[in-house]
Amino acid sequence: MSFDLSLITESIPKMLAGIGITFQLMFLSAVLGLILAVILLLMRISGKWYLSWPAQVHIYIFRGTPILVQIFIIYYGLPQFEFIRDSVFWPILREPFGCAVLALTLNTGAYVSEILRGGVLGVDRGVLEAGSALGLSARQKFIYLTTPIATRLALPAYSNDFISLMKATSLASTITLLDMTGIARTIVAQTFAPYEVFISLAIIYMILTWIIQKSFGRIEKYLSRYVNP
Amino acid sequence: MDAVTGWWDDYFWGSMIVLQVFFFSLLLMVLFGLIGAAAKLSDNRLAQKIAGAYTVIFRGTPEILVILLLYFGSAITLTAIAQMFDPDIKFIDVPPMWAGTIAIALIVGSYATETFRGAFLGVKPGSIEAARALGMSNLQTFIYIRIPEMWRLALPPFGNHMLSLIKDTALISIIGLNETFFVAKQAIGTTGEPFTMYIVVGCIYLAFSTIITLSVMGMEKFGARTGEGAR
Repeated sequence: MSFDLSLITESIPKMLAGIGITFQLMFLSAVLGLILAVILLLMRISGKWYLSWPAQVHIYIFRGTPILVQIFIIYYGLPQFEFIRDSVFWPILREPFGCAVLALTLNTGAYVSEILRGGVLGVDRGVLEAGSALGLSARQKFIYLTTPIATRLALPAYSNDFISLMKATSLASTITLLDMTGIARTIVAQTFAPYEVFISLAIIYMILTWIIQKSFGRIEKYLSRYVNP
Repeated sequence: MDAVTGWWDDYFWGSMIVLQVFFFSLLLMVLFGLIGAAAKLSDNRLAQKIAGAYTVIFRGTPEILVILLLYFGSAITLTAIAQMFDPDIKFIDVPPMWAGTIAIALIVGSYATETFRGAFLGVKPGSIEAARALGMSNLQTFIYIRIPEMWRLALPPFGNHMLSLIKDTALISIIGLNETFFVAKQAIGTTGEPFTMYIVVGCIYLAFSTIITLSVMGMEKFGARTGEGAR
C-alpha cells in the first residue's frame, strides 16, 4: 500500500468532469424544492385543514425516511406499475437524472418548508400589528412585511439545508448516475486506491461547502443591511 | 402486499440490525460530540484546531463518501498489514457494520460537537456563581448545575442528530450491511416488486423516526417540568 500522487493528479480532472451533473442536480432541485417548499408553507398556514393536512403528511413522510429510500422508491419502485410506464411522466422517470431531481426536490422541499415556517413564525407580532394599523390587507402584510423578515430569519438555516442538498446529490451515484461520486467509485473499482481518490473528492466537496457558506454569508449580510448597521 | 408475506422475518431481523447500529453509533456519537466540545472549549490551541478540523471535514463531506472511505480504506490498510505476515492473504475487511457504525457516528458527532459546545456555553453564569456561593466544588457544580442545565438546551438539536443517525444507517447498505434495505434488494430479486419492497423499508424507517421524535418530545416535557415557566 502506498500513496500514489500521480493517481491523484490523474483522477481529479476525471472527477471534475462530473461536477456539471452535481451542479445540475443541486441547482435544479434547489429551485424546484424552494417552489415546493413555498407551496407547502402556504398550504400549512392557510388555516384550511384540507390544505394543511396533505402538506403535513408530505413533510412527515419525507423528513422521516432516508433520502436513499426515496431515491430507490422513485427510480426502481415506480416502474413496477403499468400506468406509470404509460404516463406522460415516463420520459422523466425513466432516466436516473429525472428520478434523482424528483427525489431531491421532494426531500428538500419538505425540509425547507419547515425552515420557512420557522421564519414566518419568528416575525415579530408588533410589526404585523403596525401593518394592520396602517390599513394593510392580509395579503399586503404577507408580501411586504412577513416575506422579507421571514426570509432574513430563515436564511442561516436554509444555507445549512443547501449544503445538505449538495451532499445528498452524491447519492445519485447509487442509481447509476455518473456525478463526481459516481466517477470516483468507478475509478476506485478499477484501481482499488480508495484513499487517493476518495480523499481528493472529499476535498473537492469541502471546497464546494466552503463556497456555499461564503456566498450565503454575503447574502445574509446584504439582507440584514438595515438591521446591523 | 401479498408478495411481502414470506419476507416479514427477514425485515424484522434487518430492523434489529438497524437498531443495533443505531444504538452503538449513538453511544459513539455522544462520545465524539463530548470530546469535540471539550476540545473546542479547552484552552489548548492544538486541541481547538483539531476539533475545528474535525467539524469542518465531517460536515463538509457527503456521508456516503465517509462511509466508502472508511470501509475500503480500512480494508486496504488491514490487507496490506496482514500481507506483511502472510503473503497468501487476499483480502481482509472491517465488517461493514462496524465500519459503517463508526462512519456515521463520526459524521453526526461533528454536528453534536457544535450542539454540546453551544449548550455548555448556554449555561447561565449566574447559576454557576450561585453554586460557588453555596460552596459547591467544581465537580458538584458540574454534576448538579451544568449537566442538568445543558441537556435541556441540547435536547431539541440532539433529537435531530438521532434522526440523522437512524436515517444514515440506510447508507451502510451500500457497503453490504444486511439491514432492511439489503433485505428489500434480495426480496426484489425473487418477487420482482420493487415498489412494494422499498415502501416496506420506508415504513420501517418512518416508524423508527416517529418513535425517536415522540421520545424526544416526552423528554423535553420532562425537562421542562421544573423550568422557569413556559420555556
